[in-house]
Amino acid sequence: MLPYNESHNRKGVLWLLTINNLVKQRGNHEILSGISFKARPGRVTGFLGPNGAGKSSTLRILLGLDRATSGSALIDGKPFAELQNPLSTVGAALDGFGAHRMRTGRAHLRWIARAAGLPRSRVEEVLEIVGLTDAAGKRVGTYSLGMGRRLGMAAALLGDPEILILDEPVNGLDPEGIRWIRTFLRERAASGKTVLLSSHLMGELAETVDDVVIINRGKVVANGTLEEVIGSHSTLEEAFFALTTEHAGAVV
Amino acid sequence: MMVSSSRKITSILGSELDKLVTLPLILRTLMATFIVNVVLTAAFTSANLQGTTGAQSILDTGLASMGYLQAGFIILGILATCSEYTGGQIRTTLIVIPWRGFQLSTKHLALAVITVPMAFIMAASGVLYAFIMMKDTAAGIETGTVIRTVIGATGYLTLTTLLSAAVGALFKRTTPALVVLLGYYFIVSPLMRNYLPRIKNYSPDTAGSYMYMPLSTDEINALTVMQGTGILLLWTLLFITVAIILYRRRDA
Repeated sequence: MLPYNESHNRKGVLWLLTINNLVKQRGNHEILSGISFKARPGRVTGFLGPNGAGKSSTLRILLGLDRATSGSALIDGKPFAELQNPLSTVGAALDGFGAHRMRTGRAHLRWIARAAGLPRSRVEEVLEIVGLTDAAGKRVGTYSLGMGRRLGMAAALLGDPEILILDEPVNGLDPEGIRWIRTFLRERAASGKTVLLSSHLMGELAETVDDVVIINRGKVVANGTLEEVIGSHSTLEEAFFALTTEHAGAVV
Repeated sequence: MMVSSSRKITSILGSELDKLVTLPLILRTLMATFIVNVVLTAAFTSANLQGTTGAQSILDTGLASMGYLQAGFIILGILATCSEYTGGQIRTTLIVIPWRGFQLSTKHLALAVITVPMAFIMAASGVLYAFIMMKDTAAGIETGTVIRTVIGATGYLTLTTLLSAAVGALFKRTTPALVVLLGYYFIVSPLMRNYLPRIKNYSPDTAGSYMYMPLSTDEINALTVMQGTGILLLWTLLFITVAIILYRRRDA
């Protein structure tokens, strides 16, 4: 595990993600009930929970896509919409492709690059990084699930951001893709970047994350380093099921 | 938030233009609209060749298809905003450009940049076709009148496209927006002209039609070009404002 160092980087900015007492209500249903945790630079934070637990809703609020009923989700102390250069600060890949299916993968990345004032050559670089160069001229609608995830990753990496926020990043990837993303995320964290990823696949993440936040039914049921959350259980998966069953105990 | 950098504004405008021109549906809609307009103008010209003569007849014939031509521009406007909601592209857009009011305004501006030349070409081609076919009867036609009329038609089609884009942003989905707008323009409004003659001039399409329809001396309640332009402009700004307010408030 990498040593944790919560110091400011060279620009004097702390790329810390702070979720504080987040509540989200849809109609009469409370889908988030006071979520609080932090994701720190130089660490990979795994945001884990079963489907429907509230992971995506939390990430959407953090990215300014949805409004919180109460509480806050801040990036370096600011809401997402107040960032001066969003793409070079946060790279995000949420569920789905995030692209119009009639447009080519390259055209999709080009409009993003143009919006952020990045050169077209950067599009070719990220296509190369995610291994999508050959398919870049094809329409997104023809992409497999794994190719769509790679396109989402390419978009997230365009601005070479300080923070990566990925929703279910291994979903749809083949074993080679999963291995690639594990290595890639570890390297990002090793270079001092902040990585927050959500998943419902415990086995795929145990070797990747430093810190773990487990959420169930809109509430955090565990929050700590990987070792702390695993505790006396043999694996992260066992700890997860123990914590998310009907009568799970208090927060770890 | 305020985006002060002119470079940022240029980048985002360029990005919105990229989105429009790389979407095959937009290009297909414009091509289909152009072809249908030429075919309809040819049909109207052929039918009118043995009818009335003079400059006014050429303008009337050249712009006789405006009622149908506007359908293509309504579809164009709706596609421009509703395409954001296909494939989850809206999430990418708001992660790259989280300043919602600014982003939607820029999208309308980009749409206007594309619509103005397209609308001018289509309106002018109709009038030009009618002129070529009916030139033997065109004695005394004033170039100034023709230019003013074509510019008025361009303005009408552009404002109608922007209004449609705002309605598309309100509905977020293409089909309901199409049903409402085409239902209004082709069913409700014609009925309103017959049954509610006192208020018909305040509707966006009837008021807007005075932008390109030369003032008829025998019509008691006719509007001037400026009055017609003003009323359609107000409707367009109203819909854009409501669309921006809702866009800023609701979850993406």
